[in-house]
Amino acid sequence: MGTFSEMVRSIFRKLEGRPGGFAKRLDLKEAFRLYKEVLESNNRALMVITDMGEKLGGDFIFDINYVRKAYADLSADIRGSIERFDLLTGGRHDAAGAFNRVDSLIRAMVYGTAPASGKLVVFYDDISWDMVRDVGGKNYHLSELRNMLGLKVPEAFALTGAAYDAYMEHNGIRQMLTAGDAADTEGGLETIREAVAAGEFPPGLDRAIGEAVATVARRAGGGGSLAVRSSAEEEDGDLSFAGQFMTVLNVPLEKEAVKEAYRKVVASLFAPGALQYQKQHGYAAGSLRMPVGCVLMVDARSSGVLYTADPVGGREESLLINAAWGLGSTVVDGRTDADLFIVGKKPALHLEEARIGEKQLMAVAAEGGGTKEVETPPEMRSKPSLSEEDALELASIALEIERYYKRPQDVEWARGADGGMSILQSRPLVAAAAPAGPAPGRDELKEALARYPVLMSNRGRVVQKGVAGGKVFVVKNAADLDHFPRGAVLVAKHDSPQYVRVMPYAAAIITDTGAPTSHMASICREFRVPAVVNAGVATQSLAHGQEITLSAEEDGSATVYAGLAEELLQVQAANSRSMEDLYEFRRKRYLMRYISPLNLINPLVDEFTAEKCRTMHDILRFIHEKAVQALVDASVHAEGHAAFKRLDLPIPAGIHVIDIGGGLVEGKGEKVSVEEVTSLPLRAIVKGMMHPGAWHTEPVSLGMRDFLSSMVRMQEPAQEQAGFAGNNIAVVSREYMNLTLRFGYHFNLVDCFCSERAGNNHVYFRFVGGATDITKRSRRIRLIEEILREYGFISTTKGDLIIARLSHVGRDEILDILEKSGRLIAFTRQLDAVLDSDSDVERFKRNFLEDKYELAD
Amino acid sequence: MSYRIMIIDDEKIVGDMAKLSLEQEGYEVETFLSGAPALQRLREQKFDVVVTDLKMKGIDGLEVLRTVKELSPETKVIMITAFANLNVAIEAIKADVNDFFPKPVKIKELKESIKKALQK
Repeated sequence: MGTFSEMVRSIFRKLEGRPGGFAKRLDLKEAFRLYKEVLESNNRALMVITDMGEKLGGDFIFDINYVRKAYADLSADIRGSIERFDLLTGGRHDAAGAFNRVDSLIRAMVYGTAPASGKLVVFYDDISWDMVRDVGGKNYHLSELRNMLGLKVPEAFALTGAAYDAYMEHNGIRQMLTAGDAADTEGGLETIREAVAAGEFPPGLDRAIGEAVATVARRAGGGGSLAVRSSAEEEDGDLSFAGQFMTVLNVPLEKEAVKEAYRKVVASLFAPGALQYQKQHGYAAGSLRMPVGCVLMVDARSSGVLYTADPVGGREESLLINAAWGLGSTVVDGRTDADLFIVGKKPALHLEEARIGEKQLMAVAAEGGGTKEVETPPEMRSKPSLSEEDALELASIALEIERYYKRPQDVEWARGADGGMSILQSRPLVAAAAPAGPAPGRDELKEALARYPVLMSNRGRVVQKGVAGGKVFVVKNAADLDHFPRGAVLVAKHDSPQYVRVMPYAAAIITDTGAPTSHMASICREFRVPAVVNAGVATQSLAHGQEITLSAEEDGSATVYAGLAEELLQVQAANSRSMEDLYEFRRKRYLMRYISPLNLINPLVDEFTAEKCRTMHDILRFIHEKAVQALVDASVHAEGHAAFKRLDLPIPAGIHVIDIGGGLVEGKGEKVSVEEVTSLPLRAIVKGMMHPGAWHTEPVSLGMRDFLSSMVRMQEPAQEQAGFAGNNIAVVSREYMNLTLRFGYHFNLVDCFCSERAGNNHVYFRFVGGATDITKRSRRIRLIEEILREYGFISTTKGDLIIARLSHVGRDEILDILEKSGRLIAFTRQLDAVLDSDSDVERFKRNFLEDKYELAD
Repeated sequence: MSYRIMIIDDEKIVGDMAKLSLEQEGYEVETFLSGAPALQRLREQKFDVVVTDLKMKGIDGLEVLRTVKELSPETKVIMITAFANLNVAIEAIKADVNDFFPKPVKIKELKESIKKALQK
């Protein structure tokens, strides 16, 4: 057998010969340099995103110049990053394509033209965050309640702005609108209205409507009808055009009927009163496009309207529900003496008052389409149209919506014959008066706050200011998120983009570690969830289930009080709505939707591709992950480094070290001692492997099945990792380590970067194989997975393979985790052989976490 | 009696945001998108503070500043600008500007500056 490096080269040559091999693999030093450059430009880009989030967050007066300049900086950084990234990955990923796609959307916004998807019909399930312009505000917000909050919203589809354009174009109406002053005279308007009301449908739109109607009919399981209504609404729902446009109810599920309803709804855009209203708000006739919503009608037993605050009395502590039998139109139009329920919010939701109206009239679906008002059967008139239980259920749904939008809401609802509560619309409660009496002044507030014990103060970095109260929910691993209660305060050791899953329902977030430029931080800003990172002791100071109030201040100080500090929450409520009420503010801020949200969360799933990137933040995350991968590849297949040195260890781990810069004390000789290792991650992991007791030297006995299994497995073709059979390699620099280990039949890869900047850091852990039968090997994987999750890793497993990742953790903590991972590697090395039952997994896990390494009971 | 504040900026969002945040402090606020109508209004009504953008089409911020001082020397002027430039700053100081902010302007700082100007 030749020298070690000769052997590595020969393996490398074999790999090069494979299809899809590594012919163009980069020199490792070059790869590492590119990798660091990618990280640097990514960091600059993330800082710009942070700055934009701050400047556009409502605390600064900004203008379009700022937006343009900041975006120019951001795109330059990302372009730079992609350039390096392409060199690093050999252009394998189309990051530039993703960038161009998102960039064109943002540019269109910064420089004033609206993007559109071009789709004619979109089902609510398929409406994503970037379609608000296509589908209109009403469709968008309703779909959001269904898709984001999981509320019961009827089956529905949107006829988009593109459908509107196609219809207008096909019937020559666009030309009529642009020709002279046709829209300014009553005669001209009349002509336009008639043309719209009698228009033909372009074939594509005709077909799309037919298909959509058939799909709804199929999903509705036969029967049912649609409500067809305008969604021509300013995207954030401020200018709602409430009541301006026609709604056609009870439209049969037939293509021609829907087309007829569409004509009527679109024609109402040109009704004299509606035009007047548009003009008042700065829309010239014909400049507004009208997306339309087609929503399956609920077979309503009762329906009505709910306000999450009292718009007249200004009482914030109660919700008002108006309800009547049948469809909601009698309530909306105030044509029946509806029931009024007042629900108190505190301490828990409770019915404060029920005024039962006479409800002489009710609206019902008419045969063959439309609705009619009928006399309410006498025995139902003075009966409450909602039970107390229903009222409370409805109130709790509405509060969830309010929490999501962070503004009081005006909600239309219907209670179906099946008892289910459907939401038909939710919009900001514009009439909400200022809270009764002024918010408490500074001194009063101080006095009031003195009553609440301070649990934590002046710790950490405020990433999103605000005040929020709720019960503490300590998240230890990703699985805990499944049980996250709505409205709770998320407390965790690390910050993690995983938390985006619960972000819409979280009252606030506090983490022990983390950075203000992290992915999570920018998501918090996007959702305006008050958040503090790097608070150090949150998981110790705050108890699971405890009620707290977080006050994260503009000046960067944060205080956590025990209990719900009502006075503070009240001040927050008085202040929070202001900037959001400005149309210009929301419009300018809108581009952040294409910049800061993060949709790519878990790098371990298939959807983690360039094509799935929808925001600049996604692109940065994608680049980072794939750059790590490229570096791992380059390290695993490192070749041409003269300086292989054998690491002299008291355990027979047989590790060879390749130093790519600052990883070893310089010197000659073929051996290096642990003391000569200057690579921080390698030192840490080796320290863990040498931890007293963790490395077992006594042989473990294999059972007959294990023995047979190992014989069979020896016949298996070499896996990719087997290329380094018998030799363990660490490619290192001072802050980087790529460690490939093979012990017996299992293969282990640990890749780590641990700089001073938490946002750059990662640990990638892969483990596969073993000599025993698959049941035992899988048990070992489960054990490893459970322990790694305790340390904050996210992971995916398949049979006897585990891939786990950890990122955005500070250096000291990473080194601590690496040390523990070293112990874990040493300890589990032969452990599969003794994992005879599932309960062993739990036992060894407990023991390991308690620093006990005995194999016997 | 509450103080009167005028905001002049050719971008609507600047006036909107300033108005909303200053009204919360109890000021009476009027906004203008250009210099000419703003100066017209200043001839009819005295304002305690004028916050003006520097770079605007037609009458620019410096001209606003000079005219304000002519019409009503006790009115304080605060200038905001996206393009900070030393020469302009010197010109503005010569013309007795009260404060000078680069955009984006932190609302809290603008409020403090106005408060200070009013105490003088």
